Amino acid sequence: MSKDKSNKIENEGRYFDFQETNFDPLISENSLKSRIRIVEKEASELLLTDKEIASENDDRNKQATELIVANKELAFQNKEKVKRAAELIIAGRELIYQNEEKEKRAAELVIANKELAFQNDEKEKRAAELIIANKELAFQNDEKGKRAAELSIANKELIFQNNEKEKRAAELIVANKELVFQNNEKEKRAAELIVANKELAFQNDEKEKRAAELIIANKELVFQNNEKEKRAAELIVANKELAFQNDEKEKRAAELIIANKELAFQNDEKEKRAAELITANKDLTTFTYVSSHDLQEPLRKIKNFVTILLEQEEHNLSPEGKHYLQRTNVTAKRMQTLIEDLLTYSRAKSAEKKFEKTDLHAIAAEVISDFEEIFVEKKVKIKVHGFCEAAVIRFQFRQIIQNLISNSLKFSKPKTPSRISLKSEIVSGAKTKIKSLSAKINYCHITYTDNGIGFDPQYKERIFEVFQRLHNHEEYKGTGMGLAICKRIIENHNGIIFATGKLGKGAQFDMYIPVKQIE
Amino acid sequence: MKPEKQPVPFTILLADDDSDDCSFFEEALAKFPIPTQLTFVHDGEQLMKLLTKENTQLPDVLFLDLNMPRKNGFECLSEIRLNRKLDHLIVIMYSTSLEPEVVNQLYKNGAQYFIRKPSEFSEFKRIIQQAITRLTQNLTNEKQGSFPQPDRENFVLTVQNDLIS
Repeated sequence: MSKDKSNKIENEGRYFDFQETNFDPLISENSLKSRIRIVEKEASELLLTDKEIASENDDRNKQATELIVANKELAFQNKEKVKRAAELIIAGRELIYQNEEKEKRAAELVIANKELAFQNDEKEKRAAELIIANKELAFQNDEKGKRAAELSIANKELIFQNNEKEKRAAELIVANKELVFQNNEKEKRAAELIVANKELAFQNDEKEKRAAELIIANKELVFQNNEKEKRAAELIVANKELAFQNDEKEKRAAELIIANKELAFQNDEKEKRAAELITANKDLTTFTYVSSHDLQEPLRKIKNFVTILLEQEEHNLSPEGKHYLQRTNVTAKRMQTLIEDLLTYSRAKSAEKKFEKTDLHAIAAEVISDFEEIFVEKKVKIKVHGFCEAAVIRFQFRQIIQNLISNSLKFSKPKTPSRISLKSEIVSGAKTKIKSLSAKINYCHITYTDNGIGFDPQYKERIFEVFQRLHNHEEYKGTGMGLAICKRIIENHNGIIFATGKLGKGAQFDMYIPVKQIE
Repeated sequence: MKPEKQPVPFTILLADDDSDDCSFFEEALAKFPIPTQLTFVHDGEQLMKLLTKENTQLPDVLFLDLNMPRKNGFECLSEIRLNRKLDHLIVIMYSTSLEPEVVNQLYKNGAQYFIRKPSEFSEFKRIIQQAITRLTQNLTNEKQGSFPQPDRENFVLTVQNDLIS
């Protein structure tokens, strides 16, 4: 019994110890309640037995004291055990942790093992492959040995070939030197050829220039020839007319027929000469002069014969015969004038260009004085204004004024006295706004007007052409050369002339002549 | 005034290839009061041969046509003026046409006169007669063969009314 009690105490002690050591509270409470009930039961029993106990107490005190000592020993041991249990728990926890670690490690090792096993397999495969490769290499080695032997043979061959090539190279060097030498020779020759080529190119250019000049000269000649042919045609027509009239008087004027034939022959000659001139490149101006000169001679003779007939054989001629002879004379005279005008026209260009600074009004005054008698007779009034000095060929300028005045007289209105005005002023080319004039130089602008019959403006160009006439020569006498000569002279002076007019309202001629001629 | 001797004809040499012109010339002198002796040559070569012939009697005047075959009047004039025996010969140039440049050159080359052959026969006659009249008048006044060259403006002879009256 005492042992139980001591156990209980021990238990109580443990309980408290548990509390003190914070052992599981739930377990402690339940066991406490049960122990409380046990203690209460035991208390009641203890009360019933108290007196018994009290006697025994003393004994027991002694024992209790022993027990307390024992208890203290036990309590101490208990405490040690609790410590040891706590240490064991900690150790257990440690072990659990270590176990877990070891399990992880084991798992890792399992994986590592598998990997190693795999690698092992791979290595085995690789080893097998290496064995095969080794065999292959051994085989290749053998092959290379063979090949090396072959190469050694080939090398020898190459050395031999190399030597051959060196020999050949030496030969080529010699050949090359020869070629270099030949090349130099050829370069020299090429240089010489270049020089020669340049010379030829230069000569070629010169020839081309000359050819161009000849082409221009040829064109001019062709043009002149055409003009000449036109003139020849005119002359032929005139000749035919003459021949016709001569036929009428055949018996009495046999000499005239002969002369006419001669004229026709000379005309033919002239045409032949014109053809020769083209090929001979002769100057047509000379030709015009020569041929016109030749034409004058037979004409002069025709006139002489006619006048001899009229003067010395008058009594042998019928009135009709006399009339035809007079017509022949007039016709021959007309042809003579034509030829003379043609010569003047031709000379206007070929004359030596001797320009002199001249007072144009002085020349005009000279011409006017030549016309004085006619002016008085025909009641012509002429007015001159302004003053101009210009570089002109005197006799040519004189001719212009003379032709213009003759023209005015010829084409004056019947029964109306002529009124002529001549004025001049100096203007700059630029101011005139005429394109064909040079803007930079000064011109003498001469304006000539009359109150004659004028002309249809559509003919303003044509009146300046050679042999162009607006009227038949029964109406108005003339060769149609006067204005052509004026134009040629003005052009000879590097000037221009133009006409303005209306039918029945007079004519105006505007001329521009450079004040100075540029050499 | 001395009594006139049997007149010595005035000798004229005409160099012209044209026979018509020669007959006009002859005709022009037909009823001329001054006695003349007319000789013809028909080209320049013939003329020069005649003038340079040994002991030839030179004419009082030479009418020299410009345009002649073989040797023209121009060339003949130059030869005459270069020949010392002929340089005093009176030469009248004679042509159909009148070219100012040609006339100038002939004046320079020493011809005495230039005549343009007129186309009216009456004028032809007058100008020939006037020229001869002028020369014969001169001959009576001056020594033969020293007829001076006139001024340039009088070089070309034209028909003058005053001389023919």
